[in-house]
Amino acid sequence: MWLYEKKLQYPVRVSGPNPWLAKNIITQYGGPDGELSASLRYLTQRYTMPIPEAKGTLTDIGTEELAHMEIVAALVYNLIKDAPLEQIKAHGMDGYYADHDRALYFVDATGNPWTATYIQSKGDPITDLYENMAAEEKARSTYEWLINLSDDPLVTEALRFLRMREIVHFQRFGETLRLVQEWADRKKIY
Amino acid sequence: MRRDRRELLLRIMALDFTALELNLYLDTHPRDARALEDYNKVTQELFTLRQEYQERYGPLIHFGHGFSKYPWQWIEEPWPWEMTF
Amino acid sequence: MAELYRKMQLARAYVPFQQYTRRFEPFDGLMRGTIFPELFMPYRPKEMIGRSEG
Repeated sequence: MWLYEKKLQYPVRVSGPNPWLAKNIITQYGGPDGELSASLRYLTQRYTMPIPEAKGTLTDIGTEELAHMEIVAALVYNLIKDAPLEQIKAHGMDGYYADHDRALYFVDATGNPWTATYIQSKGDPITDLYENMAAEEKARSTYEWLINLSDDPLVTEALRFLRMREIVHFQRFGETLRLVQEWADRKKIY
Repeated sequence: MRRDRRELLLRIMALDFTALELNLYLDTHPRDARALEDYNKVTQELFTLRQEYQERYGPLIHFGHGFSKYPWQWIEEPWPWEMTF
Repeated sequence: MAELYRKMQLARAYVPFQQYTRRFEPFDGLMRGTIFPELFMPYRPKEMIGRSEG
């Protein structure tokens, strides 16, 4: 069971219509290292985690990633909702517009649709936790490239928040990995 | 969105975030008594603030987690992606 | 930390456990993206090694 809280995790602000920035940021909605990938990766791996700390961490980080998906969606939505067609064409978002108008869709920055191959669920909890630590690093890098690209300081603030969350999640997965390693070692001895 | 509503919502968002951070920390440190004490303190504070907000502006959480006045307040705008901060 | 180094094995990655001591005020934490001072590591493009831009 999940509950929806009618508020964003972070107060999203944009300076004005900017389809060019939206077209790049959308990769964190539906790209390989985006928030949908993150959420589904953790929420599906949690079933085969062996210890309570790991089940809790994957459930809670997977849930937080849904809130991040909503932040990215709010950014993209507000960057394109009032953009005139001329600006959409000039900013190279015409291809996206042809398929989706100003609606949200799960694609990366070059238009590739989301696919389940972006995530992995291996059954070996140690393998899965390494995957998750790498995933957090890839998302952190993506946010850094987006910060480098961004020409809207208000959007950059939200990108900085999301980047920081990747570092905290890396730390938690690292601690979870230690706990699972200790659990695996204990299992070998007894 | 009116200023007093926005300010109350931002206070809830800030406390919510503190609770989330302590929650993730406790997931891997379940025996850290100080973090647990802080988590429970923040949760208590959040409960009071949420009640105040919901009394004034309608439910923050659906499915039986907040009361509504007539007519059904849950569907009232703005939705989160429509809010201006 | 010394304990951790003694127990470390080859072909494994280790992240040290965080020790909770203090936290930022709620709104300050939200703006920074973490409530934990020891985890607050903001991005500074200029410090990136081997990159000319930023």
